[in-house]
Amino acid sequence: MTKVELTDFVQNKETQIIKGNVAAANAAKSARVQVISAYPITPQTTVVEKLSEFVDGGYMPGTQYIKMESEHSVMAATVGASMAGTRTFTATCGQGLFYMYEMIHWAAGVRLPIVTAIVSRGTAPPWNIWADFSDVISCRDTGWMSSFCATHQEIYDEILMSYKVCEDYDVLLPKFVAYGGFILSHTSKPVIIEDQDKVDGYLPALPDEKGWPHIWVDPERPLMHGNLIMPSGFYTEFRMKLHIALLEAKEKIKNAAKEFEKVFGRSYGNGLIQEYNMDDADVAMLAYGDLALQMEEAVDQIRKEGYKVGMVKLRHFRPFPTEEIIKLGKKVKVLGVIDRAIAFGSQTGGPVSGEVKTALHETEGTAKVFPMMNGIGGREVSLEQQKNQLKLLVKFNETGELPKDMIYGTYWDGLLEVK
Amino acid sequence: MEKVEKDIVEITFHGRGGQTSVTGSQLLAECAYEEGFKDTIAIPIIGAERRGAPILAFTKISKDKPIRTYDSVKDPDYMLIFDISLLDIPRVLATIKEGVIIIADSVAPLDKSKFPDNVKVFIVDATGICIKRSFMHSSGPILNIPMLGAFGKVSGYFGLEVMEKVLKKNFGEAKLEKNMNVAKDAYESVKEG
Repeated sequence: MTKVELTDFVQNKETQIIKGNVAAANAAKSARVQVISAYPITPQTTVVEKLSEFVDGGYMPGTQYIKMESEHSVMAATVGASMAGTRTFTATCGQGLFYMYEMIHWAAGVRLPIVTAIVSRGTAPPWNIWADFSDVISCRDTGWMSSFCATHQEIYDEILMSYKVCEDYDVLLPKFVAYGGFILSHTSKPVIIEDQDKVDGYLPALPDEKGWPHIWVDPERPLMHGNLIMPSGFYTEFRMKLHIALLEAKEKIKNAAKEFEKVFGRSYGNGLIQEYNMDDADVAMLAYGDLALQMEEAVDQIRKEGYKVGMVKLRHFRPFPTEEIIKLGKKVKVLGVIDRAIAFGSQTGGPVSGEVKTALHETEGTAKVFPMMNGIGGREVSLEQQKNQLKLLVKFNETGELPKDMIYGTYWDGLLEVK
Repeated sequence: MEKVEKDIVEITFHGRGGQTSVTGSQLLAECAYEEGFKDTIAIPIIGAERRGAPILAFTKISKDKPIRTYDSVKDPDYMLIFDISLLDIPRVLATIKEGVIIIADSVAPLDKSKFPDNVKVFIVDATGICIKRSFMHSSGPILNIPMLGAFGKVSGYFGLEVMEKVLKKNFGEAKLEKNMNVAKDAYESVKEG
């Protein structure tokens, strides 16, 4: 086989104009992942394609690349490799993630620090491959951490931060790093790929042959893992500890973001949320994913018209930043929440909107929540639309008036006319 | 020849599947960045592409300000037309706004009767250049490099030296001369039309 010569390979710090998927692959390379298990699915494919080029070309010495026959097997192999004490990476999305679903629970239940990039896409049917966070959000109660990226640089940075959090011995949990299909995965922007030495210094050392502290795969000392526990056994306590570990990971996420800023100079708020123009804001929009970046531009333009609007980017969905949302509720009078995923059958808006309402419901004098929905199945959301969304928040604050065409308490923006 | 001066300049690419316009949008972003533009984004519109089907891609480039939008370009400053038969499609024609600068792969001047006023048109025989220089791939001429050369000349945003650096980085030393030959031919021959 001929070795692939990569003209775009970098070892030292360099800015490259690359696609979001290539940024994700570079992050896995920079993190020196030891095992990559892969199965292609649009729009994720180019992540694992680029990684196969890195491995085949000898640019990731010591990394095992395993091509599997399905996503279910991908996660099974990743779980196995992680249990054996290696740093692992994979990527998927949409139906591929759903095919993985059973093994997703195993990864969290065995407390493995697996990082998985989710190039979020619509859920079929009807068949759809464009940006929509319904895939990653449908894994809410699996015990995984999950975060959203708004920029190409954030994909690279967030994957690095994720290894730092996941591999912390007090956490030891897997994490999804999600970003919008095509909008980030296939567009190209300048991305800083960091010096290998600096990344090595930031991340924990790779696991030695003894692996993670709680799992010891050793043929000389065979052990059973994940076997049956009777209801009278410690099952409840195992699951409770997983729940607590996920919540306690918040502090580790904050620390990882703080240290990341110190080492690399790029800030991501407190790690859980990132505020934009919030100092004097009367109303604010909570946004996530790529639309959060575009919302910054919308906020600036609406402010020029004299309205005190702000934006908060939700970086983590699990663990959910409840304390931060309560603080935010005290700060503003109206809090819009713009979802790019549907919570079927819920009357509290989309999935994030419902979380926000739950977080705020016991706080007195808190902001009124205005649930909005847009961009489902990759439907384009223009800057003009986002400016209008902010104006709706302002209007609601000034007059108490909501749009007349709300659907079960949610404002759906950018709908086509349905006959 | 026709340089637009504004914060964020937006360019649309209209081609057909196989004409390499999507890679062209990425290369334009890289050339602008190499030249010193602070931010760029290349946006391909992905659907069910196949050879010959109309393709749309955008590039936004900015001298100083960060680019914070991912949405499609509705009011372009420049339009690169890889195949002039695309101008017969109403939705393509509809994006031609007053004041836009068109660079088209054509041997003859375009029929401007369907365009709004004040549209500037430049033509370059990109297909002819590729045929002459045997710059082809499996489904025809590789039009993006000559189109980019023509854009560099018309916009004045970057020259052949910048293109040389970007093309070398992307396609390697071995193919550089072939790449630069077509870029240079287009750079030198693009004219009003």
